[in-house]
Amino acid sequence: MASTLNRRKTDIPTVQRVIAVFWPSFLTAGLATVLFFTAFNPEEMSLCLGNTKPISNVGAYTIGFFLFWLLTSTTCALTCYFQRPCHQPVSPTDTNNSL
Amino acid sequence: MSSTSNKTTGNKPEAESTGSDSLYEKHKKVYPRQVQGLFARLRTTGVLALLAIYYGTPWLRWGERQAVLLDLPNRQFHVFGLTFWPQDFFYFAVLLILAGISLFFFTALAGRLWCGYSCPQTVWTEAFLWIERKVEGTRSQQMKLDKAPMTKGKFNKKFIKHLLWLSLSAFTGFTFVGYFTAVDVLWSNIINFDMGPWESFWIIFYSLATYGNAGWLREQVCIYMCPYARFQSAMFDKDTLVISYDNTRGEPRGSRKKSADPKQLGLGDCVNCTLCVQVCPTGIDIRDGLQYQCIGCAACIDVCNEVMDKVGYDKGLVRYTTENEIEGKTTRLFRPRIILYASILAGVAVALIIAIANRIPLELDIIRDRNTLYREVSGGLIENIYNLRIINMSTSKQRYHLSVGGIEGLTLINSTKNIDVNSGEVYHLNVQVRLDPVALKRPSNEIIFRLESPGQEHLKIEETARFIGPVIR
Repeated sequence: MASTLNRRKTDIPTVQRVIAVFWPSFLTAGLATVLFFTAFNPEEMSLCLGNTKPISNVGAYTIGFFLFWLLTSTTCALTCYFQRPCHQPVSPTDTNNSL
Repeated sequence: MSSTSNKTTGNKPEAESTGSDSLYEKHKKVYPRQVQGLFARLRTTGVLALLAIYYGTPWLRWGERQAVLLDLPNRQFHVFGLTFWPQDFFYFAVLLILAGISLFFFTALAGRLWCGYSCPQTVWTEAFLWIERKVEGTRSQQMKLDKAPMTKGKFNKKFIKHLLWLSLSAFTGFTFVGYFTAVDVLWSNIINFDMGPWESFWIIFYSLATYGNAGWLREQVCIYMCPYARFQSAMFDKDTLVISYDNTRGEPRGSRKKSADPKQLGLGDCVNCTLCVQVCPTGIDIRDGLQYQCIGCAACIDVCNEVMDKVGYDKGLVRYTTENEIEGKTTRLFRPRIILYASILAGVAVALIIAIANRIPLELDIIRDRNTLYREVSGGLIENIYNLRIINMSTSKQRYHLSVGGIEGLTLINSTKNIDVNSGEVYHLNVQVRLDPVALKRPSNEIIFRLESPGQEHLKIEETARFIGPVIR
C-alpha cells in the first residue's frame, strides 16, 4: 500500500521535479530582485556597509538575484521534500520502493 | 506489492506492470512536421514581426540617446520620450496588471491566442525548428538521422545545427542585454573583446536559456513551466474560441480508399492519417478532446484542411470553434465575462495613460526633524525643522523655488529660491520654518510646502507637513 501511494504521489517525470524547484524560485527571485532594488540603490547600500571597493550596480543586481534565487529554490526544494507522504509504515520491504 | 495495493490501484493495472523504471522514462522528442496553410502563414508573419521588433528595438534612437533603454546601471528607464525612475515603480506595477487583464480578456475571447502566435517560447521554437529543418531536412529525415549511428555526415549536420542555434542564441542574449545597457557601446565592446564581467555573464546566461528552451525543452516549457497553461481553464467558458475536432462528424475514424463511400463502410470523415498528431508541436492528439497541452497553434487545422481537400470532403473537421457550437447551440460573443474584462481593461488602460500624461517629473519628500518637536527662538517665535528630499525626475537640470503656506505668517529662514537640481539627482535640504505662536490654534497644524519651477507650469508640486508648537490663550 505504502509503495503504491508513494509511486502514485511521485509519478511525475524528473524534468518536472527539477522544474518545480528551480522555475518558481526563478520567477519569485526575479520579482524579489526588482522590488528590493527599486527600494534600495546598491550605491547607497555599499556606502552604508562601508564597502571600500564598491561593486557596479549591475554586479550588485546580479549577486542580489542569485542570492534571492538560492533562498527561494531552497524553499521550493523543502516544499517538495515535505510533500512526500508521511503516513506510511517504515518497514524494510517498503523502503526499497520508496523514493 | 501486497494484495491491498492491487485493490487501491483499482482499474489501473498498467501502472503496476510498467514497473518503477517508467517513472524515469526518457522524454520522447517531438518532431513537428512542417505545415502549410492560413494559420501557418499567420504564425510565420507574427514570428517574423515579433523577432524584428525584438532584435531591432534596441537600435532605435530618440534624439541623442537609445529610444528604449532600461538603464539599470543608472537606474532610469527611457521609453521613447519618457523617462522613468525607481519612484515611478507604480506605473510599472499598473502595466503588469494591464498585461494580466489583457491575458484574461483575450483568453476568454479566443483561447490561447497568445501561446500559438506570440509567446516568446513559440516564436523562438519556430525559429529553431526552421534552422533544424534547413540543416536536417523534413520530419522523417530528422527521425531517420537520429536513429542512425554516428557517422561523419551525421556529426557534421548536428554540429552545424547546434552552431547555428548557438549563434542565434548568442545574438538573442546580446540583444537582451542591449535593452539594459547602451547597445552601441556593448557592440563595440564585443568587437574589441572588452566586455564587462557582468554584461558578459548575462549575455551567456540569456543565450544558454534561449538555446535550452527553444532547442531542447520546447513543448516541455509549455507543459511543465508555464503557469498560464494550468489556470487557463478558469478563464474558458463554453463560448471561448478553441481548436476542436468534430467528434460527431469524424467518428468512427478509419482509413479508406478515395473512391470508397464512407457511409457504406460505416465510417466518419476522419481518415485516420494521423497528420494532425505529426504536426503538433506538443505531441498530442487533438481528437482526444481539449487538453491543457494544446497551445492553440492551429497546425492541426491547417494540415487537416489540406487532407480534407485531397479526399474531397468539407474542410473544418478540426477547426476553431466553441463548445456551444459543437453542441449545436449558438455562440455568444458579448457575454458578461467578456464585457467585464473589456471594461476593466479599458478602464485601467485609460487610467494609466492619463496618469502618465499628467505625471509630474518632480518629487518632494518631507521628514520632520526627529530631535526636537519645536524650539523657541529670539522674538518669541516658534521654529520647526524639516528635512526635505527633492528628486528631479525630468531629463534636464532644473531650478526650483520653495515656499510654505497653510498658516498666515509662516516664514522660511533659509534661502529657498533658486535650488538647482541636476537630472536624476536627489537633493537634500534642511529648512527652518518660523511662526508667531499667536497664530497657532492647535498644537499640531497642517502646513503646505510648495515646490515649483518658475516659468514651467507643469513642474509644480505641493506636499503637506505638520507644524508643532505651544498654543497661547
